[in-house]
Amino acid sequence: MKDETCIVIENRHISKKYYMLKIKAPYLAENAKPGNFVMLKASSGLDPLLKRPFGVFNTNYPFTWVYYEVVGKGTAAIANLRADDPVQVLGPLGNRFPAFTGKNILLVAGGRGIAPIHYAICDYAPANNVFLIYGARSAGDLNLVEELKGLGLKKMFLYTDDGSAYQKGFVTTDIRRIIADHHIEVTVSCGPDAMFESLAHEIGGIGTENWVSLEALMGCGFGICYSCAVKTTADEYKKVCSDGPVFKMEEIAWQKQ
Amino acid sequence: MAKTIDLSVDLGFIQLKNPIIPASGTFGYGEEFQAFFPLDILGAFVLKGIYKNPRKGNPPPRIHETAAGLLNSIGLAGPGAEELKKIIKRTASITNTPIIVNVCGESDEEYLEVAKIFDVMEEVSILELNISCPNVKAGGKCPAQDRDHTFRLVKQIKENTQKPLMVKLSPNTHDVPAVALAAQEAGADCISLVNTFLGVAVDLKKRAPVFKNVFAGLSGPAIKPLALKLVWEVAKTVSIPVIGMGGITSGKDVLEFVLVGASAVQTGTINMAEPCASVRIIKELEETMEALSITNLSEIKGRLKL
Ligand SMILES: Cc1cc2nc3c(=O)[nH]c(=O)nc-3n(C[C@H](O)[C@H](O)[C@H](O)COP(=O)(O)OP(=O)(O)OC[C@H]3O[C@@H](n4cnc5c(N)ncnc54)[C@H](O)[C@@H]3O)c2cc1C
Ligand SMILES: Cc1cc2nc3c(=O)[nH]c(=O)nc-3n(C[C@H](O)[C@H](O)[C@H](O)COP(=O)(O)O)c2cc1C
Ligand code: FES
Repeated sequence: MKDETCIVIENRHISKKYYMLKIKAPYLAENAKPGNFVMLKASSGLDPLLKRPFGVFNTNYPFTWVYYEVVGKGTAAIANLRADDPVQVLGPLGNRFPAFTGKNILLVAGGRGIAPIHYAICDYAPANNVFLIYGARSAGDLNLVEELKGLGLKKMFLYTDDGSAYQKGFVTTDIRRIIADHHIEVTVSCGPDAMFESLAHEIGGIGTENWVSLEALMGCGFGICYSCAVKTTADEYKKVCSDGPVFKMEEIAWQKQ
Repeated sequence: MAKTIDLSVDLGFIQLKNPIIPASGTFGYGEEFQAFFPLDILGAFVLKGIYKNPRKGNPPPRIHETAAGLLNSIGLAGPGAEELKKIIKRTASITNTPIIVNVCGESDEEYLEVAKIFDVMEEVSILELNISCPNVKAGGKCPAQDRDHTFRLVKQIKENTQKPLMVKLSPNTHDVPAVALAAQEAGADCISLVNTFLGVAVDLKKRAPVFKNVFAGLSGPAIKPLALKLVWEVAKTVSIPVIGMGGITSGKDVLEFVLVGASAVQTGTINMAEPCASVRIIKELEETMEALSITNLSEIKGRLKL
């Protein structure tokens, strides 16, 4: 974990409010594991004040990629970065996705949740049978499909909520059938809370080993401020930044189940 | 040749190598920051507020960023006094910098119990009494909102402990200097201020407050002018040292607080945004003092020209 100023190589608009940021960050690129995240801030100014958390999309020394959606002032400032601009970077942070070999793994991504899932595919595909379910609101929210095709996935299932591209439906629509058909042993998912809640309802307790990568509002990203609390089934709070962001699905107290 | 700059600070009961003290709740238990810089560079540091028993804290959301500020409603989550003792032993083994414990309590009895636990630890240099904790017996009001309560509590702690006592004031009361004076009369060795300002954030979509407790504490650059005013007023009123804080993010900010009367400062929210902030602020302080021909902070302390 390091707090440094890095240089923007490219900040590419993908579609709608989605961007791909490429930064030159040698320490991060060397040390970031799949599932880790980084805290980013566009300038050393005071508004926005705090850095914002983003999953690591990919690394290739000395570069790191972050795929992000503009939702407020922190991400809007990041979207304004141009090549050669400085960017404040803290990372790598958090725990990693567990390592597997020889498993049938189903990855599930909702919207921008594809970011850490992409890095997981790169990690898992060489030594496992990897399947992907990827869904988003509509056509412009479901990006990077061409990039995903080159990663060695056994099969990819794509959905949009409104049916404007691929199949109409949610990531949960066919998940039980997909798990049965492909003898899935492990699932790893990342997406909005509502997606996790439906997922926990559909696949919690059907025998697969289920992992989730959570989002939370974060103040520091490294465990000191207690901002990022998530309730566990043991009725305790855990810190998403330093106890996670990767948790066993059964460990989290989902709202709806 | 330029005169050498002396950053050291004498609080009477302790000497600090410089005036930079990371504030409670924004610096974890210290040890987490050793990954970023050696804790030895600091003047001192304050640990996250501690109650007797472990506390879960408030339900999320716990933070909300505002214009150059941060609202928090963490709810003083923490591991309890027994666990903190172990953490302090670990932290003390990696640094010689004075450690300050931020003592919390839901009642006067709990404040005293917690203060006594850390009073006997040789690894602890100063107790900071966080009198901004909601008090169950005072209908949720905190001691800092009542000069008589502050006097009673501080006196009781001073009579039963040996270590220097820093009393941390809340800005959420109409007469802060009067509360400061009450703390001094009860035997406080120094005053620190400000804790966070109560504020409200509104969720327009839900037409509801963002926080379940409605009120949350505002910190960060947004509060700096308000904090400077209160530090100035309190420093004029009391004769014991005053540790100023509220929105400090630069070496220049430190000097502004010293000019209005602070002997040293605490840095809060900036540590969350920029873990290495202390390193930068100490460097900037030295550079700014050099540029302004200040060799020692005592030359300008409280010397605001009116
Ligand atoms: C571990 C982790 C990994 C992440 N990875 C990515 C990623 O790879 N790509 C990406 O685009 N985003 C990612 N996010 C989300 C991203 O951090 C937020 O979208 C960003 O912080 C928003 O900042 P902002 O200043 O633009 O919006 P703000 O102005 O802070 O917020 C805009 C609105 O969104 C709400 N909001 C923001 N974040 C959250 C949250 N976590 N939970 C609930 N409400 C929220 C705010 O309350 C507000 O209403 C990740 C978050 C975490 C914790
Ligand atoms: C997340 C957070 C947690 C805090 N926890 C404590 C605490 O446990 N005890 C305390 O006395 N003050 C606590 N504070 C207040 C700070 O120590 C400080 O008084 C305040 O933030 C103002 O300084 P700043 O503007 O530099 O942040 C906390 C502040 C923040 C932002
Ligand atoms: S974001 Fe500060 S503890 Fe997790």
